Amino acid sequence: MATEQAMLEEEELVLSELNDDELVEQMHEDLYDGLKEEIVEGTSILLKRNWSAEKVLNESLVEGMRIVGVDFRDGILFVPEVLLAANAMKGGMEILRPLLSESGIKPIGKMVIGTVKGDIHDIGKNLVAMMLEGAGFEVTNIGINNSVEDYFQALEKHQPDILGMSALLTTTMPYMKVVIDEMVKQNIRDDYIVLVGGAPLNEEFGRAIGADRYCRDAAQAADVAPEMVRARRRGAISRA
Amino acid sequence: MIDSPRPRRTASRAGRTVRAGRARKLAARQRGIADEFVSWIDRRIPCFEVLDAEALELIERNADTVLEEVGVEFRDFPRALELWKDAGADVDGERVRFPRGMCRSLVTATAPREFTQHGRNPRRSTIIGGERTVMVPGYGPPFVHDLDQGRRYATIEDFRNFVKLAYMSPGLHHSGGTICEPVDVPVNKRHFDMVYSHIKYTDKPFMGSVTHPERAADTVAMAKLLFGEDFLVHKTVVTSLINVNSPLTFDATMLGAATVYAESNQATVISPFLLAGAMSPVTVAGTLTQILAEALAGMAYIQLVRPGAPVVFGSFAAAVSMQSGAPTFGTPEPSLILYGAGQLARRLGVPFRSGGGLCASKLPDAQAAYEAANTLQTAALAGVNFMLHAAGWLEGGLSMGYEKFIMDADQANMIAILLQGIDLSENAQALDAMREIGPGSHFLGAAHTHANFETAFYRSNVADNNSFEQWQQDGSLDAAQRANGIWKQMLRDYEPPPLDPAIDESLVDFIARRKSEYADRDY
Repeated sequence: MATEQAMLEEEELVLSELNDDELVEQMHEDLYDGLKEEIVEGTSILLKRNWSAEKVLNESLVEGMRIVGVDFRDGILFVPEVLLAANAMKGGMEILRPLLSESGIKPIGKMVIGTVKGDIHDIGKNLVAMMLEGAGFEVTNIGINNSVEDYFQALEKHQPDILGMSALLTTTMPYMKVVIDEMVKQNIRDDYIVLVGGAPLNEEFGRAIGADRYCRDAAQAADVAPEMVRARRRGAISRA
Repeated sequence: MIDSPRPRRTASRAGRTVRAGRARKLAARQRGIADEFVSWIDRRIPCFEVLDAEALELIERNADTVLEEVGVEFRDFPRALELWKDAGADVDGERVRFPRGMCRSLVTATAPREFTQHGRNPRRSTIIGGERTVMVPGYGPPFVHDLDQGRRYATIEDFRNFVKLAYMSPGLHHSGGTICEPVDVPVNKRHFDMVYSHIKYTDKPFMGSVTHPERAADTVAMAKLLFGEDFLVHKTVVTSLINVNSPLTFDATMLGAATVYAESNQATVISPFLLAGAMSPVTVAGTLTQILAEALAGMAYIQLVRPGAPVVFGSFAAAVSMQSGAPTFGTPEPSLILYGAGQLARRLGVPFRSGGGLCASKLPDAQAAYEAANTLQTAALAGVNFMLHAAGWLEGGLSMGYEKFIMDADQANMIAILLQGIDLSENAQALDAMREIGPGSHFLGAAHTHANFETAFYRSNVADNNSFEQWQQDGSLDAAQRANGIWKQMLRDYEPPPLDPAIDESLVDFIARRKSEYADRDY
């Protein structure tokens, strides 16, 4: 083991020595391993080589996280590993985000997410937030115990594509309908995609309260969210 | 794991080095399970005991009374009667009555507390006895059952399949014996094909033929070809199942096979076979008394044949339905018998056999699962050393189930972890994790979690823990249907352990020669 490690040390990998294709491929591997520093470094190198922020985002980070998502779905990667990968992705995103907004590139998506009033169970919701960050979303996590007013304030302030609501309790999940009903009343329901989730929910409940979609777990949320944002933007363009 | 080393850099196809995150992970997560060498479970938790010292002494006293007053028949086997006469027992026709304490002192004087059963792969050699549990597949069923073809007579092909599945199941430490009865091969020659399958398709230890003394001798001869003549002089390579024809009767077939094995220092499991209510009294205490009496008489006989020959105190106890006469399994009374019998065996200082995934169900359904779980858990907690029937058993032993085998093998893996008890190392105490995370938040991203998650919890290959929607998307399969996919995949993935071609040839020659020496017969 000791000799093996010594041998490996000798072959230290220098990211800046890789050509573009090799570097992108290596970043996919490093994302997979959740190596934040290496992702930050790789992102900077590509930018220095005059890659646009958008190209770096799509070809290295988003594609890398797509692979992570596939292996998570297939049971090869485990939750702690996906969280680590999402955290590495976040490191790259922190560099890219100001550049993307400077160049007027719309983010992959923006989301406000919070657990509803009366409910303080937020581990699942936090996983969704991290997975979506991993998918390149700008996520504002407004925590637990959110009232209609809290949600509306966050929507007003952050202007997200998606509102995400979670509940673990059968006694708190009906509050999602209270929020959506109020959105309808205020005539802002159609301005947002509403995703809901939590153990006691199902698709039927999601439909019944007027959400756009029920997501059964974080992986599915990360799958569905970008897709729905893209579809909505396409719809908006075709309407315009 | 704990130091959480950075991912290894490995040379890529292009000659440069990459951190091969995905390839490495895929390789690690898909590593062949047959490569794991766990040859027994070390039990680190106490046995569950239901009898106090006074109660145990009562049962022992009563067993001595049975041996002294009622006695045991040794039928159609004069040699046993001579040995008993010489040893000082009272032999009246075929009935043998034993002075109080005689059987016990014969057993405690020379029977080993534990013994090694060698596998042809030394890394698979197992130790039977002490604080260990060896998990062994089901034994004896004439039928097999799977979801595709239902219930049918077993063939040698099925036999090979189950040997392969047992080989590929890390929770099973032994290949077993008559894993199913290959009824497509003539009765008087099938033992060759069965023993050969246990040699050829696995490298785990196995059991020998007991259906005729000659067949036991063939088993020993094949074992000598495999291990070498000298190896068997002082070493044990075959453990075989000797059933008592309860109540209180040993027949010539079993005595003949037991004698052959004992003479060549091979192990026997002396198993009172009791369906309480039919072959023993309807009560737990009465049945325990009879088990002890029968096991003592059988093990003592083995010590008369060859002092020091390895023996196992066996117990197969179920109850019969007083309504229909059918055997029942996974019910509470036999569990109490099992706990008690384990205590009696430990007091005697010999290895103990019992338990398994017993059930009366005809198919791998809820009844099969809960009855099997009841017996497996009871046997594990009762301190069973040699757990025959740990996988596959259906229908009171009439049928070997492919799906049931997979479900039970999953249980066997879990029992191994349960019996290992609680890790109290500094890492396991996890104070750093709690310091890192504090109130609120979650542990899924904690450094301690990262360092430990891969091995922290048992992951069943049968159970579905996904969301309802995911389960639906995967085809809404129940446990048996998932197990169906698993055994088929295992048989597709199976690769035989290497066997020295010269040894293989000598075995094949031996079998061909022996088979040509006499005509096929179905008795």
